[in-house]
Amino acid sequence: MTALIFLLVGIAMILALRGQRALGMGLFAIAFVLSAMWLAHHMTDPLTLSF
Amino acid sequence: MSTLVRFGNAVGALAIVGTLLAAFVFQFALHELPCPLCMLQRVALALCGVGYVLNLRLGSQPMHYGLILLSALFGLAASGRHLALHILPGDKGFGSPVLGLHLYTWTLLFFLATIAGVAVLLLLQTSERAERWIGHRPERHAAGTLSRLVCWLLILVVLGNAVASFVQCGPIECSDNPTSYWLLRR
Repeated sequence: MTALIFLLVGIAMILALRGQRALGMGLFAIAFVLSAMWLAHHMTDPLTLSF
Repeated sequence: MSTLVRFGNAVGALAIVGTLLAAFVFQFALHELPCPLCMLQRVALALCGVGYVLNLRLGSQPMHYGLILLSALFGLAASGRHLALHILPGDKGFGSPVLGLHLYTWTLLFFLATIAGVAVLLLLQTSERAERWIGHRPERHAAGTLSRLVCWLLILVVLGNAVASFVQCGPIECSDNPTSYWLLRR
């Protein structure tokens, strides 16, 4: 999954460099949502902390 | 875009390149494979890079800074979570410390510095915003050779991370405590 996210970000950067902002930002948005979902998926261990 | 703002964006992009390359040194020279949270911190660095590339190519705009700030907040969440997992006294942490701090702590500081840096860059571009208020469209900047070089360096490092991540984790999920590469085990 992280390989896919990096790939999306890399393509978003290439599109940004070619001046295609809308497409680049669209790919950024997809990569960002996937990253947030992946972070939530990995936040499983309980923290031994109390606040 | 003023030279100072452009320089600030180039420095931000170069800092990401340097940090991702340093992570590669730990991975390939010291054989410390990144955990899933470490990978997500790298992803956050790469996401910040999109905003810098947009600024360097199309001119500095609040929307691009918004992308950097969102990505830095995501990075703070990932590195903060990682830090909280190892915060108790006696916990040796994950990986080798550098100058007394573990990499996830350095990453957390990096994202805080990014947020502060973006705040400064936003303050520096008051004149550009004033220009937009009087009806000018923001001009498209032909990125200078140096800016273009920085952008391509960033793209190469991010695509290198895509390859490294696939070799280590495969198409789905990384092991929580990785000790070998998924592709080399097959």
